[in-house]
Amino acid sequence: MTEAVKHETVLDTGAEKLGKTYAAALISAAQSAGVADEVVAQLGTLVDTYLAGSDALQAAFASPRISGDEKVRVIDKLFASEFHPVLVKFLKVMAGRDRLAYVASVRSAADELHDDMMGRVVASIRTAVALDDGLRGQIQSKLSETLQRDVRLRETIDPDLIGGMVIRIGDRVYDSSIRNRLDQMSKRVQSGFAQKLLEKFETFTQN
Amino acid sequence: MKFSSDEIASVLQAEIEQFDSKIDVREVGTVLEVGDGIARVYGLSGVMAGEMVEFPNGAIGLAFNLEENSVGVIILGDYLSIQEGDEVKALGTLLSVPCGDAVVGRVLDPLGNPLDGKGPVQAETTRPVEIIAAGVAERQPVTEPMQTGIKAVDAMTPIGRGQRELIIGDRKTGKTAVAIDAIINQKGKDVKCFYVAVGQKDSSVAGIINALEKNGAMDYTTVIVAGASAPAPLQYVAPYAGTAMAEHFMFGGGHALIVYDDLSKQATAYRQMSLLMRRPPGREAYPGDVFYCHSRLLERSAKLSDELGGGSLTSLPIIETLEGEVSAYIPTNVISITDGQIYLQPDLFFAGQRPAMNAGISVSRVGGAAQVKAMKKVAGGLRLDLAAFRALEAFAQLGTDLDPETQKQLDRGYRMVELLKQPQYQPMSVAEQVISLYAGTRGFLDDVDVKKVPEFEKELLQFVKDKHPETLKLLEDKLDLSDEVSESIESAINSFKSGWRG
Repeated sequence: MTEAVKHETVLDTGAEKLGKTYAAALISAAQSAGVADEVVAQLGTLVDTYLAGSDALQAAFASPRISGDEKVRVIDKLFASEFHPVLVKFLKVMAGRDRLAYVASVRSAADELHDDMMGRVVASIRTAVALDDGLRGQIQSKLSETLQRDVRLRETIDPDLIGGMVIRIGDRVYDSSIRNRLDQMSKRVQSGFAQKLLEKFETFTQN
Repeated sequence: MKFSSDEIASVLQAEIEQFDSKIDVREVGTVLEVGDGIARVYGLSGVMAGEMVEFPNGAIGLAFNLEENSVGVIILGDYLSIQEGDEVKALGTLLSVPCGDAVVGRVLDPLGNPLDGKGPVQAETTRPVEIIAAGVAERQPVTEPMQTGIKAVDAMTPIGRGQRELIIGDRKTGKTAVAIDAIINQKGKDVKCFYVAVGQKDSSVAGIINALEKNGAMDYTTVIVAGASAPAPLQYVAPYAGTAMAEHFMFGGGHALIVYDDLSKQATAYRQMSLLMRRPPGREAYPGDVFYCHSRLLERSAKLSDELGGGSLTSLPIIETLEGEVSAYIPTNVISITDGQIYLQPDLFFAGQRPAMNAGISVSRVGGAAQVKAMKKVAGGLRLDLAAFRALEAFAQLGTDLDPETQKQLDRGYRMVELLKQPQYQPMSVAEQVISLYAGTRGFLDDVDVKKVPEFEKELLQFVKDKHPETLKLLEDKLDLSDEVSESIESAINSFKSGWRG
């Protein structure tokens, strides 16, 4: 299985900004109720399971032709029993302001904000083969120790790497994969050989 | 010829053994959109303005716009195989190019990659493409001459080492020819030359390289090409890259000459990039900082102080005007930046006066101090006389009767105009120029038929070379018109005229 390395989102600065603002409000509301962890997790479920699983629901949330009241009724019916009241209220506020289309960006902003508050960072790890628990624990503890932060791992498998691993934290990449080393070696040998070729061309040829 | 595989294998083995692998730490981003030589990148949060980035296909980019959520990158290479979602790697250094003796005699692209098929450029040093020019304390006034070998230029708008002299004119008026002659004339003078072709047809660049080779000028010349088919970002950086290569020699205490052919195309490329980056357009849709784009480039030409080795970088920027419109935006900008301009006019060109320099509005603001004394004495009032002649000529066309004094002035003028004509690729030494102009300005040509002037000049110089080499020698040693030198020149001319059949 080769998983294409893809970025999550098309850059939409408006949505990103909006998501950040709503997420900040949601998290402080949840924090004062003491349920930040729960609310963020539930928001994740909402986006990953319900919205991703139902195109109809997604379309309904995004549609401007469905009135706010109607959306509030839908939210009450579907989520009131399952989700924490803070989240349900928050969704209703979003519905009232016609912002339900942006739930996904609120979710990613909330994840980020919450991680940041808890002193956590996300490290994406790409390896050629699946990690076992021992190795995973080792990586996690080593990274936590160096970064002085709680590290959450996000794993992907990419056989193209041949071996080794690539760790990405934020925009910084630590690459010790075999593929990268082979690339570098080939570049180095190529340029080194070209230089030698110019310096002592005669020794390379037999007459 | 056979290759010895053992030898090759042992070199490769040595290279591999020396290779030590470290963990590669890099800052990355992802491509959001790409097109027209520009990529918008998400991430790269720690990138510097002007930092190099690398795309997966090996193309180099330059962080150009740092915005709140994304980075605008100009792609210096193939952008057609870059895709949305590609990983972009910051290289942590500013854009630099190879420099030193390895680039001399080569034809390179603006990143220093060879285009001449002569193998890789094995430069030991590189220089950043964009640096801030030398400051006030690091410079000294321009005093040394930079001979172009063109009579009209050396006599009327002399250029000094470290000067910036603009060559401006419409298309097909011989702008490039002036610059190429100046390069050819640097042969044996220990001046490294750089010809930066921006947005030119590849066929004309090939023609220029050919001409330089034929005249033996490629031994000390580097050609940097970003042709008309090169992406706009490459055309934009080409002049800076060429300057960086030339500066290496200037800071090493040597002398360099750089020709930017031409800056109007560079401004157009910069305009394209800026508009694609959504920078606000100004006059003629150029961005607000197009003046700075040229001023920071031309400021880098300098004559360094003696403490810094006294090296110099002379530049000859070229600007193409449309229908003689020198008051357009880019021409006025560059005119105000440079230390003078050589204005080439189409009507003069088609009237057969080549180089087609308009003496009236061509000036050199600092070169006078750099002119050799002999030339200064012989050509002192030439520019103004010629300008006056042009005015008089227009008046005389009305067919009025002229007094003998005016007629004499006109006759002298016609002969001087003939004398200042010069064929392409035939630069003249200072001594030859002085003798020619001496004959003209001191009235030795007054009794020669106007049509025969070029012939007279040619044969006179040949005669002096053959029969009076001591005159040339004396002039080259003194470079001044002392009585002794004048007498020697006059006697040479007189003895030639006695045998002249015209």
